[in-house]
Amino acid sequence: MNRNGRKWWRTNKHKLEPARQNSPSPYAHLTLSKETKENLQTLQDIYSKCSDVIFRPFYIGKTIKAHVVFISGLCTVQDVDQYVLTPLMQANENEFPDMEQMAEQVLAVSRIKNLATIADCIEEIGSGNPVLLWEGEERALSLGLAKWEKRNIEEPSAEVGIRGPREGFTETLDVNTSQIRRRIKDPALKMERMKIGGYTQTEVIVAYMEGIVDQTLVEEAKARLNRIQIDGILESGYIEEMIEDNPASPFPQLKDTERPDTACSALLEGRVVILVDGTPFALIAPVTFFALFQAAEDYYQRYIISTAIRWLRYLFLGISLLLPSLYVAIITFHQEMVPTSLLISMAASREAVPFPGLVEALLMEITFEALREAGVRLPKQIGAAVSIVGALVIGQAAVDAGLVSAPMVIVVAITGIANFMVPRYSVGTAVRLLRFPIMFLAGTLGLLGVMLGLIAIVVHLCTLRSFGVPYLSGISPLKPKEWKDILYRSPWWAMKTRPHFTGEFNQYRQAPDQKPGPERSEDP
Amino acid sequence: MLEKGKISAFQMAVLMYPTIVATALLTVPSITAAYADNDLWLSPIWASLIGFVTVLVVDALHRRYPQKTIIQYSEHILGKLLGKAFGAFLMLLYVLLTALVVRIYAEFLVGSFLTQTPIVVVISTMLLLCAFAVRGGVEVIARAATAFSPFFVLPLLLLIVLLFTDFQLDRIFPIMADGVGPSLKGALIPQGWFTEYMLLAFLLPFLTDREKGRKWGVLSVFAVMLTLLISNLIVLFLFGTDVATMLYPLMAAARYVSFADFFENLESLVMAIWIMGAFIKISVFYYATALGSAQLLNLSDYRPIVLPLGFLITLFSFWSIPSLMETSKFDVAVFPFLGPLVLTLLPLLLLLLSFVRPARQEGKSS
Amino acid sequence: MKRILLTLLMMSLLFLGGCWDRTEINDLAIITGAAIDAADDNQIELSVQVFIPRALSAGRGSTSSGGNLTLVKSAKGASIADAIALLQTKIPRKIFWGHCEVFIFGEDMAKRGITEEMDFLVRHPQPRERAYMFVSKGKAAKTLELRPELERYSSEVIREMSDMHIGMLVTIIQLKEMLRGKSNAAALPLIDVMPPPNEAKGLETAPYIMGTAVFRKGKMVGEINEKATRGVMWIRGEVERYTVTAKLKNVQGTVSLNPIHSDIKFIPSIRNGQWQMTIKAKTEGDVVQNGTNLDMSNPEMIKLVEKAFQQDIEDRIELALKQVQHEMKADIFDFATDFYREYPQEWKAAKNNWDEIFPNVKVITDIHAYVRRPGLVTLPGGIPEEEVREK
Repeated sequence: MNRNGRKWWRTNKHKLEPARQNSPSPYAHLTLSKETKENLQTLQDIYSKCSDVIFRPFYIGKTIKAHVVFISGLCTVQDVDQYVLTPLMQANENEFPDMEQMAEQVLAVSRIKNLATIADCIEEIGSGNPVLLWEGEERALSLGLAKWEKRNIEEPSAEVGIRGPREGFTETLDVNTSQIRRRIKDPALKMERMKIGGYTQTEVIVAYMEGIVDQTLVEEAKARLNRIQIDGILESGYIEEMIEDNPASPFPQLKDTERPDTACSALLEGRVVILVDGTPFALIAPVTFFALFQAAEDYYQRYIISTAIRWLRYLFLGISLLLPSLYVAIITFHQEMVPTSLLISMAASREAVPFPGLVEALLMEITFEALREAGVRLPKQIGAAVSIVGALVIGQAAVDAGLVSAPMVIVVAITGIANFMVPRYSVGTAVRLLRFPIMFLAGTLGLLGVMLGLIAIVVHLCTLRSFGVPYLSGISPLKPKEWKDILYRSPWWAMKTRPHFTGEFNQYRQAPDQKPGPERSEDP
Repeated sequence: MLEKGKISAFQMAVLMYPTIVATALLTVPSITAAYADNDLWLSPIWASLIGFVTVLVVDALHRRYPQKTIIQYSEHILGKLLGKAFGAFLMLLYVLLTALVVRIYAEFLVGSFLTQTPIVVVISTMLLLCAFAVRGGVEVIARAATAFSPFFVLPLLLLIVLLFTDFQLDRIFPIMADGVGPSLKGALIPQGWFTEYMLLAFLLPFLTDREKGRKWGVLSVFAVMLTLLISNLIVLFLFGTDVATMLYPLMAAARYVSFADFFENLESLVMAIWIMGAFIKISVFYYATALGSAQLLNLSDYRPIVLPLGFLITLFSFWSIPSLMETSKFDVAVFPFLGPLVLTLLPLLLLLLSFVRPARQEGKSS
Repeated sequence: MKRILLTLLMMSLLFLGGCWDRTEINDLAIITGAAIDAADDNQIELSVQVFIPRALSAGRGSTSSGGNLTLVKSAKGASIADAIALLQTKIPRKIFWGHCEVFIFGEDMAKRGITEEMDFLVRHPQPRERAYMFVSKGKAAKTLELRPELERYSSEVIREMSDMHIGMLVTIIQLKEMLRGKSNAAALPLIDVMPPPNEAKGLETAPYIMGTAVFRKGKMVGEINEKATRGVMWIRGEVERYTVTAKLKNVQGTVSLNPIHSDIKFIPSIRNGQWQMTIKAKTEGDVVQNGTNLDMSNPEMIKLVEKAFQQDIEDRIELALKQVQHEMKADIFDFATDFYREYPQEWKAAKNNWDEIFPNVKVITDIHAYVRRPGLVTLPGGIPEEEVREK
């Protein structure tokens, strides 16, 4: 025991500062007063040293003193001039008994909201909507003129495909919701809004299809989101890490997507989509391991091709995880498995190499990873050249110098390429990471080590749940009906049921007997 | 209930399949060949009979005491003192059996592949992995088994395809030259393995669909029998009655594969696949031991004793078994009697006794 | 956090302890062939053909492979295992049997008995069960030292030759079965060295299969030549590819056929105490060379050819039987097992007298030979049309 009476191995934890909470706002106690001067003073104190907040005094008509407060850059000044200042300045205030009527008739702004407290005003100003303060009433008006520079709708850079829409989400929440709403027109598409983040007050939307989705799932998602108490949410990644079931796992338990069509298809399957303002990446919950292996394009190409590519993906997942380890294990422990002529070639190429197999493998793998990461950060033109081609060239030079053997370079190159086949970057990185412990195990215990590592990973996957749904659903627990989207992609006329976790509610997504054929049109 | 997880009857069957087959597949062909010569393919059929009996007995017991494992209802049937004694005896036996299984697995690996590695490393790494799975609960083990089972079954079929040209189908003749005797004698030893189905007593309480328990249990026995039969046939067609002298005939069969002059000496692949099976087997035994011990000692959760049990099992796998020959001797001379006696007859006795004591089980919940 | 660190620390002990079974490829002496010869004092001499990886890697960069790809080392010991221990002292890398595909017994060794050394091959985990076994005329070690022209090393030569099924093909498993089987007899292909083109290139030649060595109770009792080997292979049902050159009656020239397919059945029977084996064979093939003046497109001509075909096969079988069954009295055809399968009780009664019964087994051959196709041309390729015999 040390002097404080605490056990010596317990570190002195700092007193926890309470995080800025979602609500209530620290300005909750402040109210608007009748005097516009007081309101102005309050706001100016709060926004002191904020040079981008503009306070524009003017007279409504000829006598009513008013101010409009807005953040330049978050709204178009011209709009304020044209639709607010001009009509109000030119209005005759005596014609209207109160602001309500005047606002209805004079203000050429479509979205108007009444504000009662300073906190509301701050919220609206922060969102980019100019706030109108005037003499004589204890309220203010927020004008929906928020408009800022935003990125155009572009092709999503992280999920490229050959066939399919080329629109991706952007950083603005309204644009994203509009893209979803454009695709699903039914009012059953519900979008519930909430604000998370003490300082950032980031808007988060939980979208789901009422009637398809399991309501408990929606409740659970909302509960978890409400539980988040944090200073700020800058990206959906923050939210992902704070609401997932197993934070210790390297595997993602929510799917992140940049494509509206992926989000919509998830909605139609009964999943919940979480949109976050400020990032184009939306979150989808719940998700299974196999759902992470589906690319949007799978559903637009013909099903035979898609099935073949899907199998290729599974194969290359295995290769990406296991190839270096298998190589090390076989040439170090189980040389009898190699065909004789191949073994002889390998032995010949390894004659000059000074390192043992495991060290050589680690060397090449780490170099390759470094090149890959460097390639991501570099500008586009140099980046592509550096990553793959650079690796091979360096590899060739290393082989010539006698540092590594040629088979090793090939193994590393194939592993790298295999890793790119995984459609989701998050899963790809998990696999990249897990490759290394298995390599160590392979170098120590040979194939036994590889198997132990593989079993450990599979057992871990078996313990994972994503919002209550077992991560490996479809294979274990075994549900043959799910195989139509896991093992192979059955044609659209055969995909009659939704994934099982919406089972009881709304099982069928198609009318039966949809298979096409030349004589079908003649059916009565 | 200590275990909150639930599995389906199908998953239970899938779980039990590698549990029995993993070690049986290794040594059963040569053991049966020693007694049955070329009738060795009939032996699994006779041996499986006791498997069916065991499944039915355990299922009947379970129906009388739903949602309770054998440790719990043995207290009801035999009275508190005798019940606890029986439970303790059973748990000690299971620790021993688990340790033996681990030892056999490790001996196979070290004997054939990793000759220089100290056996304690092989044993402890596997037990650590199984502890990880056991702590996850019966659901995790069942899911892992479902994920692995195809990789366990498919290679057997693949072996048939690759070795088909080397088969000499004549070797099956003469069929039953000396009557049923030799195949029955050959069945004496494998039936010990089938009695391991008593593990169902620890799994049945967690089924979601209890009525199907019996059906899938029986199907599982049938699948095991079929597998042993096929593997016996494979080694018979390949090696003839020489099988009796080989220690691990299926591995030798895998070594014999030579496909397109390229795929040769694939025994390491056999080892890799077999490790999967051994993992499931050890996990199930380990789980039964942990759960049973926790129930015996009236603990609230079995998770804390998983690791200590692991240490105990490691130790047990060294005590009193100096060499592989002794282990084989146990398999051949002791277990064929120990198995049916403790794992089939004792539950049968329990079942009969439970008819005699109807008053105890009604209305009692634990 | 502390728990994770502690776990990691303990797991790293695993790696610090050392990778016990780790062997780098370059620490292995890859054995491609082994020869076991008899040495004085009841010892054996084990010679191994070790592959030199450096020769290949150097040869890749430069133009010609000047050096040898393999080297041969030998050691004497009381048994194979003993000799290996002594051999290891002479080789700086660990001896690795996993790729040894060829084991050759020297003639003296074969005559002394191979059962003791067979035990090593079957018991040790490394040698592969599919390795081929041979007996060599004279000392076996000289086969390993040869430098063949076509293949990389001599072991590969005899392995490839064996794969062609010109002579017998016997793997370790099959040999083990023969030695432990009911017939107590075995047969291995017999190899010899081809004479070199000239004296200067003494070692630049290759081995070849010249016949079969016959064993009884693990000891070599005799050898048979190539023609008789063919007959033996017929009786064992192992015939795959061969060429029959037959001479027809009253016709000048020979006809050669390449059989495509053979179907052989063995029917044992015991009648009135007389043990009998009927060999039913059906084979069909194509004509490859017609040195006669017969018209091969004529079915009647073909019948003559088929008859000659059949006669040739019967002759070979007769030859094989004469040598093996009557002279050497070794049941390398495994009639014993065939009889056991059909007549288990009688076999059990007669088990101990098989040595006397076997030479007296009457072998009846029932062979049907068919010529299916005449090749690419119908008339003889070398003679003008008038001389072709139509009937």
